Amino acid sequence: MATSILDLSAQRAVESADSDDLRLVESLRTGAAQAYEELLGRFQQPVYALALRLLDDPSESSDVVQEVFLKVFRNIGSFRGQSSLKTWIYRITVNEAHNARRWFFRHRRREVELDSDPEEARNWKDVIPDGCLSPFDVAFEREQHVMIEAALEKLTPIFREAVVLRDITDMSYEEIAGVLGVSLGTVKSRILRGREALRAELVGSLKDRPAPRLVPKTAE
Amino acid sequence: MSCENVQELIFLLLDGKVSAEERENVLAHTGVCRECGTHLESAQMQRVLLRRMAQTPVPDALAAKLRVMASHARERQLARVSVRVRARRLAANINLMFDNLMRPVALPLTGGLLSTLLLFGLMMPSLSFSHQTGDHDFSTVPRGKIVSTPWEEGVDEDAVDFPLFASLDEPKSDYVNIVNLTIDESGRVVDWSIVRGQLTDEIKSIIVLGHFEPATTFGVPTSGTIQVRQSLPPCKYTRCSATVHG
Repeated sequence: MATSILDLSAQRAVESADSDDLRLVESLRTGAAQAYEELLGRFQQPVYALALRLLDDPSESSDVVQEVFLKVFRNIGSFRGQSSLKTWIYRITVNEAHNARRWFFRHRRREVELDSDPEEARNWKDVIPDGCLSPFDVAFEREQHVMIEAALEKLTPIFREAVVLRDITDMSYEEIAGVLGVSLGTVKSRILRGREALRAELVGSLKDRPAPRLVPKTAE
Repeated sequence: MSCENVQELIFLLLDGKVSAEERENVLAHTGVCRECGTHLESAQMQRVLLRRMAQTPVPDALAAKLRVMASHARERQLARVSVRVRARRLAANINLMFDNLMRPVALPLTGGLLSTLLLFGLMMPSLSFSHQTGDHDFSTVPRGKIVSTPWEEGVDEDAVDFPLFASLDEPKSDYVNIVNLTIDESGRVVDWSIVRGQLTDEIKSIIVLGHFEPATTFGVPTSGTIQVRQSLPPCKYTRCSATVHG
């Protein structure tokens, strides 16, 4: 009984999201300013996060996000609501990231970055410390991020897509199947294998690191 | 349940994709098996770390570009549904295009004009002339004139009892012979043409023996035309007026 109540509430949530999507799409078609605000507010951050995790290059990700929204704005008239707006936009993002990765491997593999240290290119607002985290916590989190990013980068693109969509953007298996255009079983398999590969990478990177050797000394 | 089976189910357990019975079994196993317990903990940690990565902030530059894109897309969308918006957009585009075309010209043009005015203003005091406005060298005389005739030296309008230089507005019907003389910048007759009547001896005498002053433009001698008019007696020979060509 409890399961059926949960199912009902989940179904209602899906229906509500669908009606929200249709309302938003209809407003976009009429050119309502709030609709464009809402679309950007809802999707620009997750789309950027997804592109960044799929490409691991901030400037390339920015280009991909712009391409994605350009396509969304141009093709919103032809959106029929066969999938949710989120699935549609994420599918465009994955495809664009895939294209960008292919283009990157063809053309830009040998390019050398001319930008200076990315830390220096950041806005002054980002640089000013806010005191929320201690330097140790910041360093620790950054270390973790670097490790995860490095491990993600080593994953096969199809596994990485599945893991990122599931664990970072928090999409359901069904939504991921819609985004990637594959069956549910394939999605489960890719997520499982991707996670295992990621875990193996993380464990391997920890093992490779030499443990700090602390030698006690008497103060002289 | 073996460790291998449990480790396969751990990620599905975190996703809530296992049945209640499987969940109980996995949790029971991880409670007693140290390796599988560590596996569960690392899977949870991995999930948490990955979830944190979703909070990546959008760069300000990208957010600004997206807003601009949205604004343009909205304008395009409105133009599709409204003729008025389409016309306004077209006018704005033309205005922008004109602005863009004029922008490279506007600065040099304004700069050139202002610098010319400034330099001319600075040079103006050094360009002052010593003569007055009424000076002969500085004035324009549109018509040349007859200085003297074979019969009189120093022709003076006041010395004769009829005007020597008649106005061109005066009706020509009062004259029998009218001849146009072309005077060059040296004051010599270079050509003549009969307007009315014939070339009389008196007019020939004027052409050959008369002294002429050429027309001037800003004090510079130039060629001109003097019209010599001869009436019937009692006027002896001339009632003259002049016009200047070029």
